This record gives sequence, C-alpha cells and structure tokens, in this order.
Amino acid sequence: MSRRARLWLVLLGGSGLAALLVAACLRLPAFGGARHPYGDRAVAAALARRTANTIASVNFDQRAFDTMGEMSILFAAVLGCVVLLRQARDEHRDPPRPAEVAAPVRRYALSTLPVALVTGLYVIAHGQLSPGGGFQGGVVAATALHLMYLGADYAALERVRPVEAYEIADALSAAAYLVLGFAGVLAGTAFLANTLLPLGTFNTLSSGGTVPLLNAAIGMEVACAVVVLLARFLDQAVEIVEENVRENGKNGDNGTNGMDGKNGENGENGE
Amino acid sequence: MHRLLPLLPAVPLLGAALLVAGGRRLPRPVAETFGCLVAAVTAALAGLLLLHSTPPQAAWVGGWFPKGGESVGIVLVGDGASLGMVTLVSLLTLAALAYSWHYFDEPPRGHTGSFPALLLLFQGGMCGFALAGDLFNAFVFFELMSVVAYALTGYRIDEAKAVQGALGFALVNSLGAYFMLMGIALLYARTGELGMAKIGQGLDAAAAGRGPDALTLAGFVLFLTGLLVKAAAVPFQFWLPDAHAVAPTPVCMLLSGVMVELGVYGVWRVYGLVFSGPGGIPAADATRALVTLGVLTAAVGAVMCWYQRHIKRLLAFSTIAHTGLFLVGVGVLKAQADEGTALYVLAHAGVKAALFACAGMLLDRYGSVDEFSLHGRARELRGVGIMFGVGALALAGLPPFGTGLGKAVSEEAVGGPLTALYIAASALTGAAVLRVAARVFLGLGPRPGEPRDEEREEDETSGSGEEPETRQRLDRIPATMRSVPAVLLVAALAVGAVPGFAHAVGERVDESGAWGVFSAVHWTAAGILLDLLSTALAVAVAGLAVARPRLLAAPGWALPLRRLQSGHVGDYVAWLLVGVALLGALALPGVLG
Repeated sequence: MSRRARLWLVLLGGSGLAALLVAACLRLPAFGGARHPYGDRAVAAALARRTANTIASVNFDQRAFDTMGEMSILFAAVLGCVVLLRQARDEHRDPPRPAEVAAPVRRYALSTLPVALVTGLYVIAHGQLSPGGGFQGGVVAATALHLMYLGADYAALERVRPVEAYEIADALSAAAYLVLGFAGVLAGTAFLANTLLPLGTFNTLSSGGTVPLLNAAIGMEVACAVVVLLARFLDQAVEIVEENVRENGKNGDNGTNGMDGKNGENGENGE
Repeated sequence: MHRLLPLLPAVPLLGAALLVAGGRRLPRPVAETFGCLVAAVTAALAGLLLLHSTPPQAAWVGGWFPKGGESVGIVLVGDGASLGMVTLVSLLTLAALAYSWHYFDEPPRGHTGSFPALLLLFQGGMCGFALAGDLFNAFVFFELMSVVAYALTGYRIDEAKAVQGALGFALVNSLGAYFMLMGIALLYARTGELGMAKIGQGLDAAAAGRGPDALTLAGFVLFLTGLLVKAAAVPFQFWLPDAHAVAPTPVCMLLSGVMVELGVYGVWRVYGLVFSGPGGIPAADATRALVTLGVLTAAVGAVMCWYQRHIKRLLAFSTIAHTGLFLVGVGVLKAQADEGTALYVLAHAGVKAALFACAGMLLDRYGSVDEFSLHGRARELRGVGIMFGVGALALAGLPPFGTGLGKAVSEEAVGGPLTALYIAASALTGAAVLRVAARVFLGLGPRPGEPRDEEREEDETSGSGEEPETRQRLDRIPATMRSVPAVLLVAALAVGAVPGFAHAVGERVDESGAWGVFSAVHWTAAGILLDLLSTALAVAVAGLAVARPRLLAAPGWALPLRRLQSGHVGDYVAWLLVGVALLGALALPGVLG
C-alpha cells in the first residue's frame, strides 16, 4: 500500500475511533463523585483482613488470582526474552573489556548502590503497610545492582549477578506464589485463600495473613526477572557479536562503555 | 468440585516454573516427559470437572464469596463451554508436545526445558482465559497467552522472517489488547464492577429503559476489537498468515487449532454475559456487526487460501475462513447455531492441527513447504499423504467427520444465503488443501512452471528453501510425529461419529449460553446432502485446478486483495483502526434508535 493510501486509511479509521471515544467520554461519570461501589467494598475487605495498604489487599488477597496471571506474564516475557535473545548460529561471545570510569561517577554509583538496594528491599517488605510492594520494590532492587555497571564495568556487574542463579530464583519465586495458592486448596478452603495464617495485628509487618508472603514472592520474582531481562539485553549490546562484524576488524564490538557514550571513540581507537 | 477450577490454569503455570527452575540440569527426555505429564494431568482434571459441570458452576477464587450479591473477588465460570475449551486446549497442548518430542529443534544451550515450559505457559494462559468470568481477569490471561504466543512465533531466531512475523503479530495484538483495556475502563467507570455478569446488570440498571448510549457502544466496540484481533476477523486478520508461516509447527497447531477460536469464544461469552441485556447492545445490531465481519472474513480467507502456494500460509488462510464461519455462527445468537459452532470448533481443531502436523513433516523432510517445488516429491510418504488428503476432505465437511456435523447444524441454524457461504468457504478451503495433496503426494497434473511476471512478488512467500525444524533433515518420519495427526483425525471423526457425543456437547453449550435450549443435535438428511455437496465441490474444483492449472489461475481481481497482505505493520495498524470504526458503525443504529 502506498504511503498516501495508508495515511487516508489511518485518517478514516482514526476519525471514527476518535468520534467514538469522545462520545463515550462525554458520558463518563463526573469527576469526584461520591459513588465508588468497588472502592468501598475493597477498603472494608482490606480492613477486615487487617491489611493496612488496601492496594496490597487487592493485589495479594482480593484479586490475588489476577496477580498470579500478571506474574506469569512477566515470567513468560522473561523466558521469551531468554529464548529469543539466545546466541544465534552466526554469533559468538567476546569477553567485555575493562573500562575506565570517571572517579566521581564511580564514587557516586558505588555509594548509592547499597542505599538503593536497601530501599528496594524496604519497599518490598512494607508492601502490606505502605504504598509500594513487591512489584515496585523488586524493580528498585534490581536496578540497584546495575549501579555496579555504571560505577565499575560489565565484568564487575557479572560478578555480582550470576544470571543463571537469578533465572532459577525467578522460576522458584513464581513457583512459590503458585504453591501458596495450592496450599489454600489443600487446607480445604479455596485457591489463594488468605486463611492459612493468623491475620496478626493491624499495621505491623506480620499482619495480613498470606499477603506479606505473596508480596515477598512477587518482590523476588520481579527483582530476578528484571535482572535477567536486563542481562539478556546487555549481553546483546556488550558481549554477543555477529560473525561478520568480527571479521571486519575488532572495532564496534566494544560496548563496555556503552552507557557513558564512549562507544564510538573506542571503535575508532580499536583500529 | 468447583474449588478445583482455579487449578486448571495454575497446574500448567506451576509446571512451567518448575521446568525453568530445573530445566538446565535435566536431560531433554526428562524435561519433555514432565511437560507432557503436566499437560496430561491438566487435561484429565479438566475432563473430570467437565463431567461435573451440570449444572454450571462458579468458583470464587480465594473464597471471596459474594455477600449480599456483592463480592470483591474474581469469579471463574465452570460450565460446559468453558471446561470444554479448557479440555480442548489441554489435549491440543499435549498433542503439540508429543509432536515436538525429541525431534524438534535443538533447545537453547543451558535451557533444555524452555520450549515445553513456553507451551505450558501458553496452555495456562488459554485455560485461564476460557474460565474467566471477570472482565479484567479475562484481559490478564488474554495478555498471558498473547505474550507467550509472540515468543513462540519468533522461536526460530536464526531466520529473519521469524522475528519479523512475530513482531507484526506482537504489535497488532498488543494494540488490540490496549483497546480491550480501554473498553474495560469505560465499562468499569459506568458500573463500578468487573465481574461480567455484574457489569451486565450494571449496564441494564444504568440504562433504565432508555437503552444503550455511546459509552456502552464504545465499551462493546473496544473490548470486541481485542477479541476480534485474536480471532483474526477481517480487517484485523493480517497478522495471522505472517505469524503462521514462520511459527514452529507445534505452535501453529495451537495457534490455529484453539487460540484463534478462543477469540470467537470470548466474543460469545462477553456478549452473552455483558451485552445481551436491555442496557447492552441490541441483538439486531450485534448480529449485524458479527455476521457482516464473519461473512467478510470467511470470503477473504477462502479466496486467499486458494491462491497460496506456501502450504503453511494456505492452512493459515483456511483458518481465517473457518473463523469467519464460527463468527457467523456465534453472531446469529441462536442456541442451535451455538451448538453447531461448538462442534465445528472441536472438530476443526483436530483437523487443522493434523494438517499442520503433516505440513511440518514436509518441512522437516524436504526443507520446503512450497506446493510447486514439492510437486510429486512426497510420493514416498504415503501415510502422510493419506492423512493430508483425509484432512482436506474433513475440512470440506465430509460426513461423518465432526466438521461435517458442525457445519450441517450451523447451516440449518443460520439458514438462507448464509448456508451458501458455509458451503462455499468449506469447499474452497478443502479444495485448496486437496489440490496440494494431489500435487505434492501424488504428483498429479503438469508440474507448475515459473510464475508469470505479475506473480513474481509472491516468490518471497513461496515457502521453498526453508530450514527444517529438526536438527537435520529427517530421512524417515519418526513414529511420534506420524501418530499425532492420525490421532487428531480420529478424534475429529469421533466428534461427528460417536453416537451421543454431539448431543452431550449441545446440551452443555445450551446450558452455558444465553439463548435457551435447542432440542437435539443430530445428523439430518439435508445436512448430509449439503456436506456431500461441499465435499464434491471441493474434489471437483481441486481436480480441475490440478488438471488445468491455467483455468483457475489467479484472475486480475484477486491481485489487489493479495497485495493488501503486504507484510508492512503500518498497513496492518491502519486496517485495525478502520476495523474499529467499521465495528462501531455497524453497531451504531441500536444506540441512535
């Protein structure tokens, strides 16, 4: 199809869609209304289960089954990435070269790393009490590790991040979430039922029954998943090289410093 | 028993997680056996629950039973239709795992279990979607099955085409999913509910006798867009042939056999539970929208199917044609049509998966799925040839195959000119497959020459010079690979031939549906005659095409239709937008009135 024809089609379809959406949005309930049937019920249910963070109660108790699906989506996406970003037949691995990092960057990155990691773990651990939880904290914790890449180099990152261990941990934490679900059935109630553990005291770390456990499983799953995901993409950028590129000379395959913009320079120096 | 419903998606998901965790240490046979075992256990559980699905059951996950009619939890629907789909999904996953047993491509280094794990995740996603009684939960599992399907489609990364096909698939389907999510948001804003039945009641209460408004229409159109993209309805269908041409054969079996049909199932479920009330979309408008798209889909699919030489693309277009028929069957909103469509879907899954399995054997044996270059080369594969031919006849609706029964019952229900559509679409797709069988396995007719100039452009999709999916080209076809299509064809035969089976299916579907009860499904003389007519037509057309290729060569008017399948994702997205507007326009009168 020509560009012109495609543009006409987009205009035609897009204007129809726009008209539909505008007409629908005009019929939406007014902003700030008092009627929130689901919200009212969810808050009451969260308080009854002594979970201070209603969002956590929705995620890991009331609609924990949705979270199981979402976790599986992330798990599947990571597995898909591992499979799709594997080393192809015409590619090989070049070990990353050590890189020089400016001293202020190194100091900043290495001093921030433990703080960021602890923040991530804190956000996971307090998911049932305060805003945050496994999904958010997991991402924070995973990205904290990557400060090693900024502060030192790729080889240093690979030392603190054995990808295979993270892949296994990713799968095991996904399995842990599912096993907690099965435990409900075995205990004679229902799948993912929050009746296995005492509900504890409201607004303490151990409150909410199985909510903290499911939250922790998600936190671990997300952290490991993000680490593996980034590792696969970084591998493609840094280590895995197409055969014909290698034959052309040793330039261009040096992505160790890709993050600080030295890539082009190194390529030229390589000759 | 209903307490076990959430296990149907959870068991394969757990199996996948364990396979990934232990997969790197396991030898390949152990990983594959484990995958088959998990799929089989799920199938057995689904079958057990299916036997206990009268009356239909509902499961509240986490024990959040409604209090005073209100619940914060997620409901799963365990009726004959949903459990039937789950059983079909599980059995077909088992078939795909058995087909890929030992011979399918070398697993990625250090990730022995990843292919069976992906198939199990796919199974889990599809099971969860089939059971969903909650709109958001349906979306979550819809996304799960989509994400896994993208990865599986691009599995053979050494070929650029595979990555491109998967990318187009991912873009178009993700866009559909976003529309779906917008639709859910609109419906939630109106009703404050997420359960399908509760949203339906909420819409009725909000409309209060005034009928649906623009918001209801937008919710209907946007949610259905996601499902229809998955179901590959015209004009959302472009991703499907590109994806099927490059996806590994076991994946094609699942995509064509059941994932696409789940899109139609979703339309049926959501219309029945959410939009069939007085506050929803009036029946006349829903029928107009669904039947129009269904007729277009069946026509485009059948015509395009006839003009393919790449065997996997040809089968992909025949899936589009049949999905169009399913959409018509669902769209007329009659109990009898539902029953016919259910039988048709069941038998079609077996037949289509068997045909893909046979095409995969050609690919692994000869490194080609090109009808022209394979001319007469597969004479030695007599068993495969017989299965391919039988599959072609079953596709055309030969009694007593289940496809024939489903087609006959649907034809009787839809009546009028739509009967002709059923006959034409099934005859043409059956004829195309028969033509391939006659040329490739029997070497009949003149060897097709080089294409004329105007057909050059399709050389890229000829299907010759493909990489086999096995480690090396097979000298002989292993018994596991051969037995899978045989079993699938026998199952498709059983759907139509086993006395009482069709009746049981019909009863379960009526109980699950919203259109009351139709007396009984059985073979009728008129149905058998129409089936024989479409089969005879298929044989005649295929015979003519093989004997006189020039006579039925692509006419000029078919060329623009083929050019639309350009492989350019931008085109597909443009058509998607047009499709949304078209769907809205077709359902609009009910809102204006």
